[in-house]
Amino acid sequence: MLSLALAAPWFVAVALVFLDGRRRSVGALAVAGVAVNVGALVAVAASVASDGPYEVVTGDWPAGVGITLRADALGTLFATLSSAVVLAALAYEVLSGVRARLFPALALFLTTGLTGIFLTGDVFNFFVFFELSMISAYVLSVYGGERRQIGGAFIFAVVNLLGSFLFLIAVGAIYHVTGSLDMAAIARRFGEVEPASAILIAVTFFVAFGVKLGLFPFHFWLPPLYTGARPAVAAMLAGALANIGSYGLIRFGAGLLPNELGFGAPVLLALGAASVLYGSIQALSRRAVAEVLAYSSIGQAGYILIALAVGGPAGYTAAVVYAVVNSVNKALLFLTIGVRGWLVGAAFVVGAFSVTGIPPSAGFFGKVALFQAAVAEQSVALGVLVFVGGALSFVYMFQIYQQDYWSGRDRAGVPRPAPRAVALAVAAVVLGLGVWPEPLLALTAAAAEVLAPGAAP
Amino acid sequence: MTVLLASVIATLFGAGAFLVLKPDLFRVVVGMVLISNAANLALMASGLTRGRAPIHPLPDEPVADPLVQAMTLTAIVIGFGVTALLLGLSYRVYTSHATVDLDDLSLREARREQQLERERVEA
Repeated sequence: MLSLALAAPWFVAVALVFLDGRRRSVGALAVAGVAVNVGALVAVAASVASDGPYEVVTGDWPAGVGITLRADALGTLFATLSSAVVLAALAYEVLSGVRARLFPALALFLTTGLTGIFLTGDVFNFFVFFELSMISAYVLSVYGGERRQIGGAFIFAVVNLLGSFLFLIAVGAIYHVTGSLDMAAIARRFGEVEPASAILIAVTFFVAFGVKLGLFPFHFWLPPLYTGARPAVAAMLAGALANIGSYGLIRFGAGLLPNELGFGAPVLLALGAASVLYGSIQALSRRAVAEVLAYSSIGQAGYILIALAVGGPAGYTAAVVYAVVNSVNKALLFLTIGVRGWLVGAAFVVGAFSVTGIPPSAGFFGKVALFQAAVAEQSVALGVLVFVGGALSFVYMFQIYQQDYWSGRDRAGVPRPAPRAVALAVAAVVLGLGVWPEPLLALTAAAAEVLAPGAAP
Repeated sequence: MTVLLASVIATLFGAGAFLVLKPDLFRVVVGMVLISNAANLALMASGLTRGRAPIHPLPDEPVADPLVQAMTLTAIVIGFGVTALLLGLSYRVYTSHATVDLDDLSLREARREQQLERERVEA
């Protein structure tokens, strides 16, 4: 099942390179490819939930020699989530008409890369899949071919490549100090590493993932990119690609380097708080929907960092819940940009409620988890920060709503029922997770358990 | 050997970072190439061991670590692809904006935005 999840999108992607993606049938094939991937991932997740994590060593090499693929609760949760977001965005774009030949193939390469990242047990393999999805994203970011997109895309590519090379250097360093590339072995051996080099490695990883996630001091590439990209691509970038950053911080920070994470907690808290406030205040001052959402992403990323810095079971659970909820929210909100009608307005309100954290939406449970983390930390300042951030997000989300939907002004574009159905389906998922949150909470609790001290990552 | 490698890597990375901060797009691309090579060297240096090639290791002789070389080879290939992509992007910028100077580019984009804003106000 694990191999199927990786191989299906890869082979379909390679086949699609030779076909014209603008044709309906090719688009349908691409959607089917991602759907197979999501199905296989759900099956993997089900077997992980019932029988615990399992490993596959590629090419029938003995364990320790070959590259391992490892499925555990945390990885499968993120993989399923990201692939589902790509599926929704791809279906949306195929239904509204693909404009470039290679778009479906690139979306499938992105899916392969994301699946690989979340399911690999090898740090260098992580880098390879990471580059596979990043390169697809660089090309996807110019999709649509508007002039102003290209500048943003170039900056995106350069800044994120710098992040990738820093990650590569950190991989080399971690291999040097532990003598292994296997995540489980690294987690076992990292405690004995000399503190000075351990901190350096941890900081390099943090910067690499901070760039991906668009945290406060590393975010400058993000707003021009999200503003220029087409809605479907922006949904993929904000809903699926940004997961690399949050997963990386959670896996490498809490899973592999927990001592260094604890050591750096005050810095992470400060950066997270700065992200939340900066993102929210910038979002307040913007009028274009895509721009507000871009700054909102920076703010929401801050919460994940804060939750990680709090640490412990409560903090890790909050980080996972918030990462999941945020990814679904952003996918929904970016998809609503391209369509219109009162139903879309309703979908937008669901997304806005979810970003703010008002029940009955999935975001409510993200905020609850954060408050629980604040209580576990017994920190009043943290609770206040989460509340203020939520209040600010309420204001900026409903500013857009008032301006775009309430004013009755006709928005550009023709009404298209088919892509609208996709946006509505995502809205239904957000609402469904808010009304019936038990599966989400059980999955995230299982994912956070993977990170509990003593458990092998 | 370690000091020599470290200083080479540092020089490469520093030169790359300097070029990336230049406003000219092609200098940025060259800077990225230098930085990617610095990363490759760092990767090589992380497992540098003297010994025979590990094709047919003998029990009493030291063997060079093949893993870092495999990793570096992969990283070189990825860096190669990425450089091609960056050059392609710069070419797109050049064909659509007729400049490769980032300052010039942002100036033009700001002007264009202003013009669009004016058109919107007039409409």
